[in-house]
Amino acid sequence: MVRVLLKFGKEIVDKPITSKIILEQKTPINILAAHVNQEGGEILAEIDSASAQKVLQSFREQGVIVDVRSLIEIDSDKCTDCGACYSLCPVDAITLQEDNSVEFDKEKCLGSHCSLCVNACPTRGIRPIG
Amino acid sequence: MEGLKLKEKKANNKRTISEINKKIQNGDAQVLTAEEMKELVDSSGVQVAFKEVDVVTTGTFGAMCSSGAVINIGHTDPPIKIQRAWINDVEVCHPGAAVDLYIGATVMSEKEPFEYGGGHVIEDLIRGKEVELRATAYGTDCYPRTKLETTITKDDLNQFYLLNFRNCYQRYVCATNSRDEIIYTYMGKLLPHFHNATYSGAGALNPLMNDPDYETIGVGTRIFLGGGQGYVIGEGTQHDPGNKMGTIMVQGDCKNMNPEFMRGASYTKYGTTLYVGMGIPIPILNEGIVEKVAIRDEEIFTDVMDYGVPRRNRPKLRKVNYKELKSGKIVINDRSVKVSSLSSLKKARTVAETLKDWIMNGQFYLSSPSQTLPIDSTFKPAKQTREVNFVGSIIQKAVTCVEDEEIKAVAQRIISHSVNHVVVVDAQGKLKGIVTSWDITKAVAEDKKILEEILVRKVVTTTPDEPLEAASRKIVQNRISALPVIDQEKRVVGIVTSEDITKLIGG
Repeated sequence: MVRVLLKFGKEIVDKPITSKIILEQKTPINILAAHVNQEGGEILAEIDSASAQKVLQSFREQGVIVDVRSLIEIDSDKCTDCGACYSLCPVDAITLQEDNSVEFDKEKCLGSHCSLCVNACPTRGIRPIG
Repeated sequence: MEGLKLKEKKANNKRTISEINKKIQNGDAQVLTAEEMKELVDSSGVQVAFKEVDVVTTGTFGAMCSSGAVINIGHTDPPIKIQRAWINDVEVCHPGAAVDLYIGATVMSEKEPFEYGGGHVIEDLIRGKEVELRATAYGTDCYPRTKLETTITKDDLNQFYLLNFRNCYQRYVCATNSRDEIIYTYMGKLLPHFHNATYSGAGALNPLMNDPDYETIGVGTRIFLGGGQGYVIGEGTQHDPGNKMGTIMVQGDCKNMNPEFMRGASYTKYGTTLYVGMGIPIPILNEGIVEKVAIRDEEIFTDVMDYGVPRRNRPKLRKVNYKELKSGKIVINDRSVKVSSLSSLKKARTVAETLKDWIMNGQFYLSSPSQTLPIDSTFKPAKQTREVNFVGSIIQKAVTCVEDEEIKAVAQRIISHSVNHVVVVDAQGKLKGIVTSWDITKAVAEDKKILEEILVRKVVTTTPDEPLEAASRKIVQNRISALPVIDQEKRVVGIVTSEDITKLIGG
């Protein structure tokens, strides 16, 4: 799965672009979070890795800004690998390794749409970015 | 002959601390971490493990709130007898003579409360950072100065000693939350409806767990403390050996510590603290000690407690062992939930490994305690000369209605019972919502007929055993005027109103 932030400008926010692409490409798109108003909108979506390239190209052709990026930043100097964050993650983006250290899967992370882990970090080593 | 053999055999079954120290000096002391030792005992047995190993190292790295540091800043000219002082806007305590200060780990910054506190000040000083010191005084003939503003680093201090009065809990409880809201506690952030849990402690790597009868640990035991060397100076406060919840009091020179093992920390909506790395070497003096250091995570149990109930005796939901806790998942009420460690096992291992290296490299010698920790003391609850009131003591009968009633009927009930709140229940008496006289007035003004259209479904509730103070806090925080009282099955058992609370607390 590829996690992307799709940004819709004012001019195209009222068009059914996402549903059109789902139908055309015959691929499921999982919408994790969406914020839309008349000024534009943002959709955080998961797209099947196999069809991701084609799907994202279609979005771009429709004038959507496609942003594939990490939604979280971990300050490794601050992280002590305690794991206080781990039990709060609703999408299993934070996992415990064999040696009880903590690993973040940036592709699974919901970023600032969730942020449940951010204020649970005792050393303030987690920063959501977007 | 027989007697001599017996004596020789006995000598082979024992080892003294001075013998171990000689081996350390010669560079041939055999040291294992507690985790390595457990494996050796498993594979080769107690006798072999005793023969092969001189010292076992332990470690823990977690929040230790009853921590702090004593500093002496030296005398100013003209001199000052400090009355109140702040470092980086964190008030520091002035418990002694003119210029001795104690930086308490949990004291919060007046400018950045909950985010920066005494623990962070201690870490910053250890890092070599410059901090701002402010002090005021009343002025005396010998100490005329009344104000001081300066900057200091650890090099400017005469003494900078960690002085922690309760550390290194042998084991601790596992926390979860029954409430329907997130709660922020000293056990971290707990999701509603038992959706996660938290615990603390290194389990089978914990120092006191590996010497549960405190045969080798006591006043004067040299330890790894915050990346430097420190000492046990006695039992910690709340030392509770009977419940296997022993604690220690420690001291150590912060000037030799390493910020990797001394971290200021923030618990959202709870406060600040200090994460301390601590490790104790266990001298393998006899086979009995080998048997004890062989303890495994699955043999160390603790209680899963409901921190949603803010009482001294929190409900215990089940017993759980450290092996389950370290796996990251435990079962609560038939559902598997993720359990977070608040302490770092990875860092605890680094502590044990570092201490092992020190001993093997001749940088750390063992010390005999001059007095071992008590094994029979108890941890008493506080004496209270005034008992606290609970919701149960002022609970009123709730006036109720059902969802499909007409607004007019509810309005009549409000008048006939002269109340402001009507609790909406289903046929089983379970909470469905609440309406106030204001909601009804508004509904009449807007010409609404059916209760369903106006009832508030998201209701803040309380239980009979909640302290009134906690209930009162809910009322203020949510800007409401009453709380339905419910039991565990969500059945409405009554109501408390802000009026009733004010009458009791104010009267």
